[in-house]
This record gives sequence, structure tokens and C-alpha cells, in this order.
Amino acid sequence: MTELGKADFGLTTFFAKSHPNDKCGANGLPLTPNSIKVLGRFQRLKAVSHPNLCNYLDVARGKHERLMVVAEHYRHCLRSTAKSGKYTNEELFIELAFGIVSGLAHLDRIGITHRNLSQSNILLDHQGKVKLSEYGMYYMTEDGTSVAFPIGNHKYLAPEALGLGPAVIEDHTDSDATLTVPCGPKTDVWSIGLILMEILSIPYKNGFRLFSADGRCKDLELPVFGENGYSKEYLESDHLSLRSMEEVYYLWRLAGGDLVGALKKEGLTKSKPPIHLLPYYSTNEGEVFGQTRDRAELLDSTVVILSQEQLRQRLSEIDETAYYPLLEDEQSQVTSSLPTSPSSNDLSETANLPLVIREKDIEYQFHRIILYERLLKGYPYTRGHIWKEARVDIPPLVRAHVWGALLEIEGDIYARYDEIDKETPTQTDRQIEVDIPRCHQYHELLSSPAAHGKFKRVLKAWVVSHPQYVYWQGLDSLCAPFLALNFNNEALAYSCLSAFIPKYLHKFFLKDNSAVIQGKLFRLQEYLPVFSHLITFHDPELGNHLDGIGFIPDLYAIPWFLTMYAHVFPLHKIVHLWDTLLLGNSSFPLCIGVAILSQLRSQLLSFGFNECILLFSDMPEIDIQRCVQDSIKIFCNTPKSATYRQHARPPKKAKKEESRPNISYYSRDYNEQPSSELSMEPIPVEELKTEKCPRISAEDLIELGELSGPSHTKSPTKRKQNSKPMLLVIDVRNQEDFAKGSIPNSINIPFPTAFSPEGDLNPCSAVTSLNLHKVQVKVVVGSRGRNATNFAIELVRLGYQKVCVLHKGIDVLRSTNILTVPPVDL
Amino acid sequence: MAGRQGAQRPNGATQGKICQFKLVLLGESAVGKSSLVLRFVKGQFHEYQESTIGAAFLTQTVCLDDTTVKFEIWDTAGQERYHSLAPMYYRGAQAAIVVFDITNQDTFARAKGWVKELQRQASPNIVIALAGNKADLAQKRMVEYEEAQAYAEENSLLFIETSAKTAMNVNEIFLAIAKKLPKNEGGGPTQSRQSGVKLNNEQTQQSEGGCCK
Ligand SMILES: Nc1nc2c(ncn2[C@@H]2O[C@H](COP(=O)(O)OP(=O)(O)OP(=O)(O)O)[C@@H](O)[C@H]2O)c(=O)[nH]1
Ligand SMILES: [Mg+2]
Repeated sequence: MTELGKADFGLTTFFAKSHPNDKCGANGLPLTPNSIKVLGRFQRLKAVSHPNLCNYLDVARGKHERLMVVAEHYRHCLRSTAKSGKYTNEELFIELAFGIVSGLAHLDRIGITHRNLSQSNILLDHQGKVKLSEYGMYYMTEDGTSVAFPIGNHKYLAPEALGLGPAVIEDHTDSDATLTVPCGPKTDVWSIGLILMEILSIPYKNGFRLFSADGRCKDLELPVFGENGYSKEYLESDHLSLRSMEEVYYLWRLAGGDLVGALKKEGLTKSKPPIHLLPYYSTNEGEVFGQTRDRAELLDSTVVILSQEQLRQRLSEIDETAYYPLLEDEQSQVTSSLPTSPSSNDLSETANLPLVIREKDIEYQFHRIILYERLLKGYPYTRGHIWKEARVDIPPLVRAHVWGALLEIEGDIYARYDEIDKETPTQTDRQIEVDIPRCHQYHELLSSPAAHGKFKRVLKAWVVSHPQYVYWQGLDSLCAPFLALNFNNEALAYSCLSAFIPKYLHKFFLKDNSAVIQGKLFRLQEYLPVFSHLITFHDPELGNHLDGIGFIPDLYAIPWFLTMYAHVFPLHKIVHLWDTLLLGNSSFPLCIGVAILSQLRSQLLSFGFNECILLFSDMPEIDIQRCVQDSIKIFCNTPKSATYRQHARPPKKAKKEESRPNISYYSRDYNEQPSSELSMEPIPVEELKTEKCPRISAEDLIELGELSGPSHTKSPTKRKQNSKPMLLVIDVRNQEDFAKGSIPNSINIPFPTAFSPEGDLNPCSAVTSLNLHKVQVKVVVGSRGRNATNFAIELVRLGYQKVCVLHKGIDVLRSTNILTVPPVDL
Repeated sequence: MAGRQGAQRPNGATQGKICQFKLVLLGESAVGKSSLVLRFVKGQFHEYQESTIGAAFLTQTVCLDDTTVKFEIWDTAGQERYHSLAPMYYRGAQAAIVVFDITNQDTFARAKGWVKELQRQASPNIVIALAGNKADLAQKRMVEYEEAQAYAEENSLLFIETSAKTAMNVNEIFLAIAKKLPKNEGGGPTQSRQSGVKLNNEQTQQSEGGCCK
């Protein structure tokens, strides 16, 4: 990350070559617009960093294939500076040459050819240091093939480059391949030579030549290194200049920075009335004649300097201490995340605003970004703190790294990724190749050829490095958010994907050797019934309705779970969903599903089978923030054993626990905790499917019911004093058994006599008590046999919510000292 | 290009029978199953049609003389990995369109596999149509028309080359199927269907060869 320092943001614009309307690719589908191709290739330039190169910051597409490029910029260039005769000083001249060569050498190392070198794009910063700009033009336009104008100043172009003629071939042929041989670094060597020669030999305005002795003293008034260029004191008071260029540019945009607006202001977008753009003549086939674009319009060499005034204005109120937030106080206690000092007033209030507003609030983002940036520097030591902050929100600018931290990525991910063979063809290639061009292609970045290449490499890397797994359609969707966030960091995208899958989709992509497991995907067999139970638990009315019309999760929820919703939502929604998903355990996705259904509840309740299924054939509009909040609520209101799945990830070495001090017990996976005879245990899938309600473990019962018993509870929950009990235990055994020993405060409704012939509960005092506990979790307890299960099914039918069944019945509690003889009922 | 040729819509409430059929699309991934359905149901074509995971469901109605035929269309995922889900969708189906891509020989081989499986496992009276899709890419053709035609005849399948992109023969294939389906059991309005697809393992008998209700 390069500091902003005194750099400006320079905006340039040009047009990519547009395709003729009627042209299709070899697959019969429209060609990728050249501006999209450039957009994809440009991303790599953002990662180029060298003291003698200007950083590229951003690219954006405008109308009619217009591209706008933002890069680090300085107001002085070689052309203007050299006129003064500065470089008649041999030392300065050598320094200049060295700077240019260093920059080019770096480009050569990373395989980028400049081929666009000229006196006007060799910039000089405030210390007179060389900063090459516009070196990415040839690269991002794929050796000039994506634009219809020549790249490079002919004056300095090497003979071989000139000899090729302009790279543009007005190709109406079918082949996409242009026959240009790309230029290599030698072209640049030629250009340096010419430029330096010119500086040495061309007479300057005031008429003196380098090798003449006179007039050298004229240099003296010019800025010389160290004098009035770089000043430490100045920088120290300008805290913003010490922030990274990317960050400042991000804030600049939040402060209202507008590229198109800036171009317009400078008169660089001459908008013609549309009528002037119509072709003179058009055939039925769509071929048009008579409106060729003026080539001179395609590239404008002007650099528009983007004013930082507005940004600095917006940030001027911020206290300078805010640039250096305190992470821990003397007691090494993690301090509160948001500043409460009067200067930066009520940001904690902002924290309660909707996410989309927070993300646009420059002051809020400023604080959050700085905080996270510091936390990330301390990762993995700061993991706990990052988790805590992530519960508030994650600023888009740092999301890629925060996700990496939440997924506990550590170690030399680059070496690991480099070692994987991503090139050798495999059997999976065809599927990957047909899936990628269908995956989130509305997204500018992901639809570019550069993205497709990266996409393929990351997916292949995952498949190759996980021999026990296979590629499933859907894996592409899972990969997309990570790739979009880590476009320039395939290794991190790969690592995140690799960490995400075992966490949420443990063994879902397993090689399915016994090819056909009647009718189901193996893992989903367990997942989907558990999901059904959860719907019924929270919303029995909806559950009953969906069950009644046969609209079972198998018909709509497979893409939800198999891709963790990445196949059903657009990327901008997925990131917000996953911001929270990453904080939850592997059961959390089930809660998201219930939250989605509850958002569509009234429609679903009024719909029949066909309407329901049509509704989900195109995912309806879902308010993601509401969905996230509802999911959290659902998550917290579900006993953890109720979402137990035997196929969830088995316990991991608990080594990391201590570094995540703030994780609530809900975010830990049930399977990650020690189990005892009171815990949940595997239930055959067939049995699961015959039930309507979740089961609860004895452990959870003891925990939530605050029953005194064995002390090894799993959750450090502090329940408020004299709050209402969380649950109601309904004992369905006969009165005799109940009287011999039962769970304290439980009510007794013997199953055989519970229901009237009409199916209603026969009134009695226990039923009255049941009806007083509408919102509590209801645990149905029986002994062996199916009485408890059947009773629960009846309760659900009657619309009681939060009904679950004690796993293994009353007998499981015999070994504890919980059971007591109930007081005689009056 | 997209949407120029809309699909046939029910033209008012004609006095006639209404038949309801379950139709399933099968075939290798990316041959254009979802695109065919989208073209037929919504008259649209998306170049970047998303891949199907699990299955998708849509309905469309066509009118045939005095009969209104309502298709309940199950569009399945093509990847071999999802093969195990397929029986759940073709069980009880009265019609199937097995799709291949004329520019790819492997997809034709896969289509034959599907036909075989349907003949063995689906309802005995199922009407099977073979669609050679992407006919607009004739210059890249790898499966000759005659080859597919001969295969279809041998197995008594309907065969049509289609293009979801240009809409060529898309409505036609669905109409041809509608024509071939038995509509003999007399007219009358449809009953509302009792439930969705039966997902339990036993073969459901409910609508074997059935059609009009
Ligand atoms: N040229 C051309 N392309 C087509 C045609 N039909 C589909 N496509 C393209 O082929 C690709 C795959 O189409 P889909 O409809 O997604 O294929 P599918 O069979 O549903 O694939 P799965 O869902 O993976 O099983 C998409 O990019 C479509 O745009 C066609 O008739 N002509
Ligand atoms: Mg599909």
C-alpha cells in the first residue's frame, strides 16, 4: 500500500473499440464488450506497486464503451521540467535516467510492456522523483487490440512497433485473434534512449544546450531534492496523506467524487444530441453505414486532476487522534469500537442506521476503515477483536481481508496456492468451462475474460487439492463472492473458498461413489428434513401449509444450501448475507432459510403448490438486512441441539478458542463441543423424515430449563434473574409414571387421553398452563415409543410453536439427580 | 432478437377440455434446457442463463384445437453429479424432452443415455422428444441431422432441431408433444392438483399415463 503523500488523483478517459452490432462469438452468443475486457485486465494493474510507478486506482465504464481510469498523478512531467534545463546537471540527469529505468525494469519483471513512453507521461513528484504513468495502457488494452486508436507516441516508438502499423485491424472477419505480435521490453529500451537523447540534445526555450558551459546557474532557482519538496513537518500535520492511496480514493468517492462529472466539467465529454449519432443507412440485418466515429475522439490525452478539496472538507472536523485509534487500554482490554469523544460525536448512533446508509457515510466509514486496518495488521493476534467488530459491520473496502480473518486463514497461502497444478487438463474442465460464463455475469468484473481465467484457476485448484471431493455445479457460485473480493489475490480467494466449504458444507461435495442414492443428494438427505423441522418449530402455520401442499424443501432449497445462497442472490446481497453468515456456525444457513420464508410468509400462505414453486423459480426480492436480522433472531431462539446434524463438521482441535474470546456459544458448532450421554446423537434419516419437530438434547433441556444437574454445561449463558423460564416441559406419560418421578415444573398431559375425537386438546389445568406458555419452547417428554413424537405432531397441527421432543425420552435423565416427585395436584 | 416471438398464450377461456401434463427436461449441462424453457414460457433468451442447481419449475399453457394443454415443466440440472436427483423429477412425468447440443457429440451420447433410462424407469407411456438445440450454430455442427433423426426413429422419439436463441422450433416441439399426448378421457375442467412431486421412494402410481382430469 502506497501512502497518498502529495499525490493527486488523475483521471483520463478513452473509448474501447465497439463491436459491430451483428457480430457473435463462436458460441453464437454476443461478444464480450471490449470495455469489459479492459476492466478485467486493468485489475492486475491495481496491484502494481513500485516507487517509480504511479499506482493505478480505479477504472469505470461510461456510456458507449467509454472508460475512465484513475491513477496517482503529479502535476510535473518531464516535458515541462526539462524545458527549464534542470537536467543539464549531470547528477540529476543520471538520477532521472535511473528512475525511468528502475520503473521499466519492474514492469519487465512482472511481464508488462509500457510501449507508451513519452516525455509527458514521465511524471516527477514533489521531490523530483520519477513516477511513470500511463504504462498500463498497452497492457490493459491487450496490446492495443481493445481500442481503435494507436497506442504510443510515434516519436519514441521503436521501428518494430511502428513497422507493425496500428494494432487496429478493422476486422469483419470471424476470427478474434489479431495478428499483431505483441511488443516486448526492447521497445521500451528504444524509447528511453530517444527520450534521454532528446533531453540531452534538444535546445531549450532559452537557447542553451547541455554541453555548453553557460547558463547553468539558471538551475539554482529550481526546486532541488530535499529543499522545498518533501517536508516532514508538513506531512505530519496532514494525516490523510499518510493513509494509503486506495483508502483515500475510496473516501474520495464517498465524499461525492464523481468521475463522469469531473470529465464533464473539463469539457471532455462532448455529448452530441442522439439524433446525430444515428446511422445514415441501416440494412434489415442490422448493418449500419455512414456514422463512423471520429478517431481523434477516442483518446484524450488530458489528465483531469480530481480535486481533494471536498474530501478534506468533509474530514476536517475529525480529530487527529481518530487517525490513531486506541485498540487496547492499559488493562489490555479491548476498547469500545466506536469513538465517543465529542469531536467525532455520535457514531454509535450511526451504527444503528441501516447498513446501506452506513456504507455511504464517509465519517463512519473513515473510522471503521482505520480501525479495521489497524486490527488487520495485528491479525491473527487480534482475531477476537475482529470478530467483535464484524458483528457491528464490515466496511466494503476491507471486506476481503476481514473475511479472510473470520475464516481463520493463516500461513503462507501464496506458496500453497502456487504449488497446486491449475493447468493440466482434467475431466472436470468442461463443466467448469460451461459454468463460469453463466455465473454472476451481470457483474462487470466477473464477466471479463480476465475473471474467467482466474475463476477457472481457483476452481481447478480447489478440485485438484481436494481429491476426496469433486466439482459440483454450484461450486462456481460459492467461489464468485471470494473471487470478486479478491480479484487480485487468487491465493486468498482460493484459501477462503477452501476454508468456507468445510465450515458450512462439510462433505457436501463428496465423491458420490454409489452413484444413485435413491432420489437424493447424500448430504442434503439430512439437511433438508432438519430444515423442515426448523420451519415448523418457528412457524407451525406456515410449516403445516407447505407440508399440506407438498411444497417441500427438496423442491426449492437445494440451490440455497448447496451454494449458501450464492446462486440465488446477486453479489451485492450475498456479501451482506455472508458478512453475518461467517459469524455463525454451520446451522446458521438453516435459519437464513427460515427467515427468507418468513419474509414471504403471507404470499406463501395464500399460494397453492404451483404458485409457490413459481415464486421460487425466480428468487423474489428479499430485504437482506431484514433477513439477516431475522436469521439472528431465529438462531438465538433455537436450542442448539435442534439443528443437530450428524454430518456437520466433526470437532476440530480446540486450539483457537482462546483467541476468539468473544464468540457466543451459538457461533460455535454443536459438534465442536464435548459430548456426553446427554448430548444429541445421530438419528437415522428415515426416522428424521417421519418427524415434524426437532429434537432437543437433555443437555439443552437442563441448560435452558435451568435445572440443577451436572455442572458441565456448554454455554456460559448468564440468564437474567427472575426472568421467566425459557421452556415448558410437557410430560406425556401416564399419571402414575409421572407421579413416580418427573422433571420439576413440568406439566402432565397423558397422550392417550389428551385429544378429543375432533383432535382438540381436552381441557384440563395442564392444558390451560400450556396455553399460557405460547412463546416458550415446549419440550415434549415421553418414555420409549412414539408417544412423544406423535403428541408433538398433534401440537404442531394445532398451531403450537416451538415444539420439540426430548431426545431419548425421560430415561435419559435417570442418571442425573433432576427428576423429582411432583407435588400432588389439587 | 430476444422476445420477438412470444410463446403461445392461452387465448381466453375457451369451452373445451383442459389437460395438465407433467413434462421434464433432461440432458447434459449447458445444452440449453433452461434456455428452451425460458423461451417457451417467457419468450426470452438470456445469453448468461444461470446454470440450474437441483431443478427449476415453470408452467405454460398451449391451445390445441379445442383443448387447453397445461404443461408443468421440470427443468433439471445437467451435471452428471445431479443424476441421482433426476428420478424424483421424471417419475410420473407424461412427457420428456431430452436435449443435446448439435455442436457437441458428447452431449448426444449423453442424450441417448437419458433416453435409455427413461425407457427403463419412467412411466411406460411417456412421450419422449429429442431436441437438437443450438441449431443456429449450424456452421459448428458436430451431430448430423440424419444421425439424430435415425436414432430417434429407431426409438420412436419425436425429433426436432431447435434454437432457444432464435426461437426456431421451440414452440413447435412443445406443440408436437401436446399433440402426441393422449387426451382421450373426455373434457372437463382440471382439478386442483393434490400435491407436488411425490418424493418418497415408492413408485407413485397416481398419474400413470394420465392426463385429463
Ligand atoms: N447459440 C446458442 N446458444 C444457446 C442456445 N440455447 C442455449 N444457449 C446457451 O448455452 C448456454 C447454456 O444454456 P442453459 O440453458 O443454461 O443450459 P442447461 O442445459 O440448462 O444447463 P444446466 O442448467 O447446466 O443443465 C447458455 O450460455 C445459453 O445462452 C441456442 O439455441 N443457441
Ligand atoms: Mg439449466
